Amino acid sequence: MFKRQVRWAMRVAAVGLLAAVPLWSSAASRADEPGVTDKTIKIGILGSLTGPLAVFGTGNLAGATIAFEEANAAGGINGRKLEWVSLDDESSPPKGIAAYKRLVDQDKVFAVFGPAASAVGQALVPTFKAGKTPTFISVFSTPAVTEPIIPNVFRTGPMNDRQQGIAIADYVLDHLKAKKVALVKQSDEYGKRGGESVTKRLTERKVSLVSDETFNISDTDFTAQLTRVIQTAPDVLIVYGYPNPSAIITRQAKQLGLKAMIMGANSAGSRKYPEIVGAAAAGTQNIVTLKVLPESNDPAAVKFRTTFEKHFPDLARQGRPDLGDVLGYGGAQVFVEALKRAGPQLTQAGFIKALESLKNYETALTLPTTFGPGIREGNQAAKVVEIQGDLSRKMLPEVVRATEGGTK
Amino acid sequence: MLAQVLVSSITAGAVYALIALGFVLIYKGTGVVHFGYGDQVTFGAYLVLIAQALIGLPFWPAVVVALVASVLLGALIYGGLMWPLRNASLLAQIIASLAMGTVLREFVRAYMGPSAWPFPFLLSPAPISVFGILVVPANLAIVGVSLGVLALLFLLFERTFHGKAIMAACDNRIGASLIGVQVSMVFLAIWILSSVLATVAGVLVAPLLTLSPDMGLIGIKGFTAAVLGGFNSLPGAVIGGIVLGVLEALAGTYVSSALKDMISYGILIAVVLVRPQGLLGVLAMKKV
Repeated sequence: MFKRQVRWAMRVAAVGLLAAVPLWSSAASRADEPGVTDKTIKIGILGSLTGPLAVFGTGNLAGATIAFEEANAAGGINGRKLEWVSLDDESSPPKGIAAYKRLVDQDKVFAVFGPAASAVGQALVPTFKAGKTPTFISVFSTPAVTEPIIPNVFRTGPMNDRQQGIAIADYVLDHLKAKKVALVKQSDEYGKRGGESVTKRLTERKVSLVSDETFNISDTDFTAQLTRVIQTAPDVLIVYGYPNPSAIITRQAKQLGLKAMIMGANSAGSRKYPEIVGAAAAGTQNIVTLKVLPESNDPAAVKFRTTFEKHFPDLARQGRPDLGDVLGYGGAQVFVEALKRAGPQLTQAGFIKALESLKNYETALTLPTTFGPGIREGNQAAKVVEIQGDLSRKMLPEVVRATEGGTK
Repeated sequence: MLAQVLVSSITAGAVYALIALGFVLIYKGTGVVHFGYGDQVTFGAYLVLIAQALIGLPFWPAVVVALVASVLLGALIYGGLMWPLRNASLLAQIIASLAMGTVLREFVRAYMGPSAWPFPFLLSPAPISVFGILVVPANLAIVGVSLGVLALLFLLFERTFHGKAIMAACDNRIGASLIGVQVSMVFLAIWILSSVLATVAGVLVAPLLTLSPDMGLIGIKGFTAAVLGGFNSLPGAVIGGIVLGVLEALAGTYVSSALKDMISYGILIAVVLVRPQGLLGVLAMKKV
């Protein structure tokens, strides 16, 4: 038994040596750098492509695919072409962990772009910490992956839910000049974290909520909560929840005669959201972590739409590109820029240094990115969208920030 | 305030009732608990969107096409799944129904996308004030249709020869076939009828609940309403639905909106413990 194990171990060692020989001869300096050859850099793309969390996973993949193909078409990264492997975590945290490990251990990728859902990202935190593979997040917003920071994990695009809460609270006080603020929040992790952050910020600024209500994600009737909110006659009602309940709340609030302005989080930032709500959406606002709306006439948006529709006609039919696609694309552009800055002697440590060198790096559609030693949340700002009478969306000029000192 | 909450909760209850009716119809008619029914309701609403997108039809003709398509879907479910499984255990049939729901749900997610779709209200969503209580016509339609469907199914089962044949076929397959009832045709009819009912429910509730692949979660509430009503009683399904809606609203108003599911389901457990046959159910007893 023991003899057989030794023989097996020796055979493995021999195969390892044989495999390593060509690496020594052709790429001596990068022998231990996963995913890098003279001609290619291998990237793993991880996201929920099926299951209930698929909204953003498909955007993460589509955006990255377009940005990586553009980089290859423009000559690649310092002479190397990008190659990528995409894995689906099926909206399941355990499968996400398995897929991430497979990308790192089996496919030996240089870096991972993803995952694309908060639940999966949160579950992966110990795995992130245990490894050193650079991991770049572009679409989900749980603070768990950046607070406290993990040296090899970066995010840009959506600011995290805690910061969104701060930005919303400041915006409501500074721009909407609200005196009486009400809050309706989802009872899960997402709504709780964002809602508590709103409350904390308001308290810091000596404003207390006139009404603080909770709902469950599968609720369909919000009369009880909304009736209590209406009795307190707020100027602004902040709705912190997923798009579907938020849409129903907005509709029922108008039906019950709420006069307050309704303000939503990034999750209400989808292109189709106004139509899903219907006429009641007119006049409501929500924050959106983009520089340019995907449906706008901005030349960069038009160009992205055209490319997207050509690449993914099936997704375009579903009303895409949308928030997740643009965030995925913008994130992948930042990712590509850092790969270029890391230079021809590409190493994972060098790539992390290059990411940290990005200061106010602008992309065409997303907000500027700043990383640094100790800074892993690349974007800490958002813009505000106002839904018009014809249900189109208008980007307001204000930029709301999650930093001290409120909106600027 | 209480009056407004109660009026609104009846709409929520009517949605549960409409779906509960589907559960009870299938159970009464074929003996299967169709756990994929919520997803089938969602799929019914998506059929309208698919007809609009694929054939380019306006809304109402698309609804007609969806209803016709759901007849075919019902026939397909029976012919392709339930007929081959007719001699399998009940558990296998239930698992098959669950799997079918997953197939439908993941199909719409892949084909129509994971995010929500706008879906028009059949009647105006603008409220009308009746004695100071706001009433929404679109919601009244759901209550009306639930009661209408209940009345139709009730007449069918209790007052017609065919309905009696269905009950006979379900109670005793061999006995019914001995006296000339074509059991397979009866089951086929039930699956088609329930499939059409799913589409009707889907079209009505989609604008209210927001249509997305996960709208079928409402099936759990429908199932609960059916259990509350006794699971083999059509009026019980409607009463169960309304009771569940009102319970949720009262718990949300007077106790806590975050705890309302816990409270209303806690009451459900209590009801089932005290009255296992449900509010209107008849206790099935085997005489030996």
